[in-house]
Amino acid sequence: MTTNSNEAKVISPESTITKKDFWKCFRRSCTLDSSWNYERMQNLAFAYMMAPIIRRLYKDEEKRAAALKRHMEFMSVTPHISTLLVGVAGAMEEENAKNEEFDASSINAVKSSLMGPLAGIGDAFFWGTLKLIAAGVGISLASQGNIMGAILFLLIINVPHFILRYICLDKGFKYGAKFFKDLSMSNVVSKVTESVSLLGLVVIGGMTAANVSFELPIMIGSGEWAEPLQGYLDQIMPCLLPACIFLFIYWLLGKKVKTTTILLGSIVICILLSLAGVV
Amino acid sequence: MLVQTILIILIAFFAYMHCYVGSTMHNRPIVIAPLVGLALGDFHTGIVLGATLELVFMGAFPIGASNPPDFVSGTIISTAYVVLTGQEVASAVVLAVPIATLVLLLDNVQMTVLLTWASHIADKYAEKGDINGVERVQIIAGIGNKILLALVVGLGFVLGVPVIEKILKYIPEFVTHGLDVAAGVIPAIGFAMLARMMLTKKSIPFLLLGFVMAAYLNLPVIGVALFGVAAALVYYNATMTKKTEVAYDDNEF
Repeated sequence: MTTNSNEAKVISPESTITKKDFWKCFRRSCTLDSSWNYERMQNLAFAYMMAPIIRRLYKDEEKRAAALKRHMEFMSVTPHISTLLVGVAGAMEEENAKNEEFDASSINAVKSSLMGPLAGIGDAFFWGTLKLIAAGVGISLASQGNIMGAILFLLIINVPHFILRYICLDKGFKYGAKFFKDLSMSNVVSKVTESVSLLGLVVIGGMTAANVSFELPIMIGSGEWAEPLQGYLDQIMPCLLPACIFLFIYWLLGKKVKTTTILLGSIVICILLSLAGVV
Repeated sequence: MLVQTILIILIAFFAYMHCYVGSTMHNRPIVIAPLVGLALGDFHTGIVLGATLELVFMGAFPIGASNPPDFVSGTIISTAYVVLTGQEVASAVVLAVPIATLVLLLDNVQMTVLLTWASHIADKYAEKGDINGVERVQIIAGIGNKILLALVVGLGFVLGVPVIEKILKYIPEFVTHGLDVAAGVIPAIGFAMLARMMLTKKSIPFLLLGFVMAAYLNLPVIGVALFGVAAALVYYNATMTKKTEVAYDDNEF
């Protein structure tokens, strides 16, 4: 078998998109959150990600304009796995470029139907779980002055991150819209999100006990029988007060109290307790 | 001072650029505070402060349309202050939170006005089918707004640290102690926010399991996390097989 070395390598025999375009999309996907705006969020960066594909597929300006405008629409997804959307949208654009009959509006329809479930998994996995585990490991080392804490923090997040970013782009192009549309309808997505959330919750429970601290060293009783209040509390349950604080804040958040209010409130209360000599 | 200011601006730029190189989270306090410590001559304090501030900003993560306090500026300026003046860790907390909130206001202006404007300019290029134009806007806007933020941090460092020093001198002992206590409580806000995002009635036992393992068994986080992985896999397999079993039964009838 002979391959023409002058011809650029394409990602699959049927495609005109080259390996080079693929890696351009990959690199550009890394900029997704950099131009975040309140109107359409990640739209500009998403169009930037799609640009190499648009340039490859469409030669006349009218079609390029239509494609660019499509991808300047609203976009909001977890940046780390946004490549899946680029892959799927890229595969659909290719279909659109080949097939006159293709309904171009379906590209954005698929994009917006995938965006929600994908952001659901992505946020639960990256912000809710992976970042939390990485921080937990990192903090325990860093608080002893060990720089490995920061290094492990970055590795725990970014090794899976870049692998997933690659897989999402690859599979997105390979399977295209149909596969992932079926997937978003099936219960696999919700089951994966639920499972990832469970892992996140186990870690949240553990980290609340390990990293939230509040003690009442004030002495109770008089003379010989005086004992710190904390001693009694520890006999009831370790980490009793941190657990109560966590539940109280959880309850406040459910009442739609703003986090800034809770933050300032807890600072003020701690200062007042310190003034009263309780803590 | 000039060299220090330049280093601070560079660190800030490096941190803000995390979302231009893959949202790698290298802007988090645990990474940035050691860098500031290294630049200003006390690596060890930087590392320890990184751990403290990472906990304080536990709940600061961007999801959908909500933007967290700008912990990069909060971390850099408060770490610089503690390293340069040799103050207690608690004073880093009292500084970091208001600075982060203030800079978020500024960043919000940027995200509502400047970056929305950039996306409108890109619209015009898109209208003409000018791919290069759209690309240019993204590169300039994406990197440009990070340069602006880094300069704000540099300005905060030059003007802020001497002023902060004067103000903090007058703060009484009970306030600093209260802040120290608050630093232990604040991470609970972050954990509660995360729990709000993920907790359902069905999943309460898992939260409790994690808590018990750390509080009673004193397992380190990685052990708790591995248990969580096992629990999540068991749950996933159990719910998925149940589904296929039902389908199988249907076939038999």
